[in-house]
Amino acid sequence: MADPIISARALFKSFPSGDRRIEVLRGVDLDVSAGESVSIRGESGSGKSTLLNLFAALDAPDSGEIVWDGSATLAPRRRGALIGIVFQSFYLVPELDARANVLMPSRIAGKVDRESRARADALLAKVGLAERLHHLPNQLSGGERQRVALARALMNRPKLILADEPTGNLDEHTGEAVMELLLGLCAETSTALVLVTHNAVHAARTSRRVRLHDGRFVAVE
Amino acid sequence: MPWYLYLALKQLFPSGKRFPFFTAISVLSVALGVALLVLVLGVMGGFGAQIRRMIVDTQGDVQVRSSSFIEHPHKVLAEIEKVPGVAAATPFAEGVVMIENENKPAYPSIEGIDVNRIEKVIPLRKYIRAGSLDDLDDDSTILSYELADSIGAHLGSRIEVYTPLILEKLKRDEIVLPRVLKVVGILEIGHQQLDSSVMICTLRTMQDLYGLGNAVHGINIRLKPGVDADAAAARLNASFSADSGLRAKSWYEINKDFLWVLQLEKNMMLFIMLFVVLVAAFLTMSLLLVLVLKKTREIGLFAALGAERREVALCFCLQGVAVGVVGTAVGMVLGFTLLHFRNDAVELLTRFTGSKQVLERFYQFNQLPAHSDPRDIVIIILSAMLLSTLAGLVPALIASRMKPVDALRSE
Repeated sequence: MADPIISARALFKSFPSGDRRIEVLRGVDLDVSAGESVSIRGESGSGKSTLLNLFAALDAPDSGEIVWDGSATLAPRRRGALIGIVFQSFYLVPELDARANVLMPSRIAGKVDRESRARADALLAKVGLAERLHHLPNQLSGGERQRVALARALMNRPKLILADEPTGNLDEHTGEAVMELLLGLCAETSTALVLVTHNAVHAARTSRRVRLHDGRFVAVE
Repeated sequence: MPWYLYLALKQLFPSGKRFPFFTAISVLSVALGVALLVLVLGVMGGFGAQIRRMIVDTQGDVQVRSSSFIEHPHKVLAEIEKVPGVAAATPFAEGVVMIENENKPAYPSIEGIDVNRIEKVIPLRKYIRAGSLDDLDDDSTILSYELADSIGAHLGSRIEVYTPLILEKLKRDEIVLPRVLKVVGILEIGHQQLDSSVMICTLRTMQDLYGLGNAVHGINIRLKPGVDADAAAARLNASFSADSGLRAKSWYEINKDFLWVLQLEKNMMLFIMLFVVLVAAFLTMSLLLVLVLKKTREIGLFAALGAERREVALCFCLQGVAVGVVGTAVGMVLGFTLLHFRNDAVELLTRFTGSKQVLERFYQFNQLPAHSDPRDIVIIILSAMLLSTLAGLVPALIASRMKPVDALRSE
């Protein structure tokens, strides 16, 4: 088996709540390799999003170790290159049009050129927004916004996509279409995917499914 | 272009929005502060420059006086004209007289001038409003226009002149008649104090009136262009023999205290007016703070996309800088436009309030002068830029210290 893109060992994470601490993660282990898609399900507050934040190095575990593509550290720039993130609430920059939003990861990496513009256009075309390049987020529907966010996540050719309930704000039909795109694009580019979702149907479409309960993976299928 | 600059500009000037409210208010506040500074310092500088010009116009660049009288002015003049940097020199005698016309008295300052030399040193001709300097002889005089008005004199009037010498003779019960001089010119310098109290006659007439013989009170000197007045005065002093009693002073040295007060007044005005820009900077800061709160989730997003903390800080700090740059530029244009139309504005204002006379009497000038010192402009630009940058710095630091995960979770 290929080296994992992300490897987590014995992750613990707790948060203060009044005069005590709530343990959200209690020893989570997970390896995800290139081309693999893993869904994480669990009740609200089970620590799914916390785990994803640890995977994205947006937060640090209390203990445990994460190795990203062979390295135990993940500086911001490397995060931008290695990981693409899709949020439930899209988080598009309202002042930028669809194309500029997709170009943002590239711009932050300091690599905006003709090639990257062409890639942004191609990605938007791939998610069905070729005609909406210059539309601002407030001129797009929810599904279209999430598709822009999806294109943005793929912009820097990441090895790993972290998707946090990407269909949570969409109706069933639109959610289905977005999920189709997400899985299809990841498979096409052999990009590893960690998908946090409540939706059992969407989870069923990933190559591996895990459930988070009481801070631990209780069932790995 | 780095992403933080790109985004800072996009947030200030978003695509598809003709009138970004936040930007307009921030830029306008800085612009108004800068315009006010340009206007106030321009007018203050104008007063200063006008006073300096008037001093140099009426006294020359350097003035030589003696501890008593200059008994042999022609000898001293020849000596002065040999000194490097001196373009021309003219002697003068001065005093105070009482004049009367149609039973209306006045007590002006009188100055006797050498009509053959005066124009080389003092541009008197340009201040003559009526009559001519060419008509001035030993039996005539030129009056400043408000002085002429106050005693009802006009061209051709014959005024009676009483001097302290005549009063001395009266004390000794001698019968003396006042000197009668014909008005051949009316002078307007543009300074109320001078325009209400100056009369000019020939040097010979003044020497007669004051019983000076051939003596004069001093010599006014015009320097060649670009010659430093203080340095020229020092050279002149070095050329005078120790026992001559002569001393040369530059126009700056003569009026040092007055000019210092003028400069102090201007500096105080700059200091006070900077608070206007400071208030504008606080407004920009509060607007940027609101923006940071509004953009909290985006700050988290930028981190998720690979941005460094300092870059997030720069993104907001640059918005302060951009507001400073645009606000200063707009303020400069606005300030200089207001400065250009200042006299029309004053005219309009005084026409409504009927206060033109009061303005002239109080401020001594009949036109609002303006002069913008490049140093002042540099200070205004730097201050506005610095304060706007500082205004952007506080929200920038707050943004950069946010934990990405907290920023993304914020409601």
